[in-house]
Amino acid sequence: MSETEPQIEARRSADLRLALHLFRKNPLVLVGLVLSVGSIVLALLSPFLVNSTSWQITHPLLKNCWNNPLFGWGNSNIAHDCSSSYVLGTDSYGRNLLTMIVLAIPVDLQIALEVVLSAVAIGIVFGATASYAGGIVDEVILRVTDIFLAVPGILLAIVFMVVFGRTLTVLTGAVLLIWWPTYVRLVRSQVLSEKERPYVESLRSIGAGRFRILFRHIVPNSIYPLLVQATLDIGSVILTVSALTFIGLSPSPLLPELGNLASLGSQYFFTAPWLIIFPGLTILLISLGFNLLGDGLRDILDPRLRR
Amino acid sequence: MKLYEYAIRRILLMGLVLFGLSLFMFYLTRGFLPPSFALAPYITPRMNDAQKLALAQSLGVATKSCASFQAFSAFQQSCLVPVWAQYTQWLGNVLSGNWGYTLLPTAGPAAKTTTIFFSRFPFTAQLAVMGAILTILIGIPLGIVSATHNNKLPDHISRIVSLGGYSIPQFWFGYVLLIIFVLYARIGGLGLLPGSGSLATNCAICFANVVTPKAVTGAPILDGIISGNLHFAWDSFVAMILPAVTLSITSIGALTRIVRSSMLEVLRQDYILLAKSKGLQERVVIYRHALRNALLPAVTVAGLLTAFLFGGVVVIEIVFDLPGVGYTSLQAVNVFDINFVELYVLVTALIIVVTNLAVDIIYAKLDPRIRY
Repeated sequence: MSETEPQIEARRSADLRLALHLFRKNPLVLVGLVLSVGSIVLALLSPFLVNSTSWQITHPLLKNCWNNPLFGWGNSNIAHDCSSSYVLGTDSYGRNLLTMIVLAIPVDLQIALEVVLSAVAIGIVFGATASYAGGIVDEVILRVTDIFLAVPGILLAIVFMVVFGRTLTVLTGAVLLIWWPTYVRLVRSQVLSEKERPYVESLRSIGAGRFRILFRHIVPNSIYPLLVQATLDIGSVILTVSALTFIGLSPSPLLPELGNLASLGSQYFFTAPWLIIFPGLTILLISLGFNLLGDGLRDILDPRLRR
Repeated sequence: MKLYEYAIRRILLMGLVLFGLSLFMFYLTRGFLPPSFALAPYITPRMNDAQKLALAQSLGVATKSCASFQAFSAFQQSCLVPVWAQYTQWLGNVLSGNWGYTLLPTAGPAAKTTTIFFSRFPFTAQLAVMGAILTILIGIPLGIVSATHNNKLPDHISRIVSLGGYSIPQFWFGYVLLIIFVLYARIGGLGLLPGSGSLATNCAICFANVVTPKAVTGAPILDGIISGNLHFAWDSFVAMILPAVTLSITSIGALTRIVRSSMLEVLRQDYILLAKSKGLQERVVIYRHALRNALLPAVTVAGLLTAFLFGGVVVIEIVFDLPGVGYTSLQAVNVFDINFVELYVLVTALIIVVTNLAVDIIYAKLDPRIRY
C-alpha cells in the first residue's frame, strides 16, 4: 500500500537533505546562486541605490570624464578632464557609467523574466494540448514550431522590431517569438512520457476528467525540466536582448540597458575600453550565474545524473 | 518505411516549413506596414506616378480599380488589396527570382536585391564555415577530455569553458579579443592581428600592399588561392581569425556539452567494460570503441549549430566591420528594405533545413539500428 503521511514527510525531508548536500558539494552551483540571486537583489534595490530618472538627463559638459586615479586612466587615455572623478568614468552622454549599469540590471532582468515566463505559459498550454490531443492538432502545432526553429532567432527578432517599432514591449515580444517553440516542444515531450505512467491510468479509471488529469497531475509532474530550462534560458534571453540592442535596435540611445551601454562604449573601445568592458562583464556575470544555477539544478533535480 | 520514402517525406515537410516561414514573414511585413513599403523595392528613379501605379497594380499591391498613385499612397480603401491576394503575386515574383531593387543607399541606383545579396553571401558563408571548423576542432576534443576525466580538473576546466561560451555576449567577446590582440599584443608598433575589415593590411603578421584579385567565388580566401595570390589569401585568412573565434564561442560551448554527455553515456555501457576487461588500452577503448557511438548524437545538432553560426554573423560582422550579408541586412532594415532581410531569412532557413535533412539521412546511414 501507499506510504503513510509521516513516511512521506520523512522521505521528503530526506530528499531535501540530499538536495542540500548535493548543492553544497557543487561549488559552481553556489557561485551561480550567488550571482543570480545577487543580480536580482541588486535589481530590486537599484531604485533605492541610484536616482532612477538620472539616465534621461545628459550632461554635455561631463562627456567622457575618464580621470579616475584608481585605475590610472587619467594619464594616457584622458578624453576630458572633469573636476569630480567617476568610478567607471562617464559615457558619451556625460552620465555616470556605474549608475547606468546599476539602472540597466533591472531592465534586462525584467525583460528576461517576462520572456521566459510567457514562453513557459505558452509552452504549457500548447505543448500539453499537442501531446494530449495528438493527431492533427499535434501535427499542426509541431509544424508551426518547426517554422520558427528553422530560422536564426535574431533575424526574426530584427524583422519583428522593424515592423512594430522600437519599444521595450516590442523588444520583449520579439525575443519571445524566438523562445516559445522550444518550450512547446519541451512540454510536449515531457507530457508524452508522463502520460504513459500508471498513475494516469488509475486517475482515468476513477473517472478524472482529461483536463483535470492534464493540468492538475501531468503538468505539475513534468515541471522540473521546465524549471531547469527556464533558469538556463534567463541567461540566454539576456544575451539575445543585449545583442539586439547592441546592434542598434534599442528603443532609445539613452536607455540604460546593458547591450545599449556596451554599444555606446564600443565607439571608444580603443581609447576607453572599460566603457564596453564593464557593461559586457555585467551581462556575462548575470548570464553565467543563471546558467550555472540551471546546470546545478538539473544535476540536483534529475536523479539519473546524481551518481 | 524505406530510407528514400523517408527522405521524400522530409523534403515535402521541408517545403512546408519554407512555405510557412515565407507566409509568416509576408503577413508580418505586409499586414503591418503600409503598402508603399511593398512597392519601394521595385521603383526605379525617374518613374512618374502613372508608371508607379501601373507597377503597383502589376505587383498586385494596388487594385486594378485604383484611380491614381496619390490614392494608393493615401491608402484609399479602393486601392487596398487583401494580404492573401498579395502573397500569391509576391510568391510568383520571388520564385522567378525577382526580388526587386535594393534600397540600400550604398548599393547605388537600380542594384538588384539578389545581385547584392549573392555578391556578399559568400563572405558570410566563409565566416560561418570557419566558425564551424573551429567548433568541431575544439568542441569535440574538449567534450571527450571532459568525459574521460569526469569530475577531475580537465572536466572542470572544459565545463567552465563550455558554460562560459554559452554565457558570454558574443559582441563583447569580440571587443575583448580586439582589445587584447590589437591594442595590447603589439609587435613593432603594430597590433598582432588586424582590427577590422575583411582584409588585414595593418598588422604584425600580415603582408602589406597586397593586390586584390578579381572576385571569382566572392569568398576572399578562396579567391586568393584560386588566383594564386597567396599573400591576399593569407591576409584574408588573418582578418578572419578573430571573427571566427568570436563566432564559434557559443557553438563550442554547446557542442562540448553534447559530446561530454553522450560520451559519459557511452562509457557506462557494458561493451566498454568488456573492451576494458579484455585488456585493451584506454586509448583504444575511447577512440575506437566509444567515440564512434558517442559522436552520433553530436551529429544531430549540426542544424542547431548552423543556426547559431548564421544568426551570430549579424553581430560579428558589425563588431568587426565585415562586408557580409549580416551587416548588410541590418543596414537594409534601417531603410525598410524588407525584401533583402526576407531573402536572408529564407536562404538561411533553407540552409538550416537542408542541413537537418542531410544530418538525419547521414544518421540513418551511420547507425544501422535506426529504421524509418
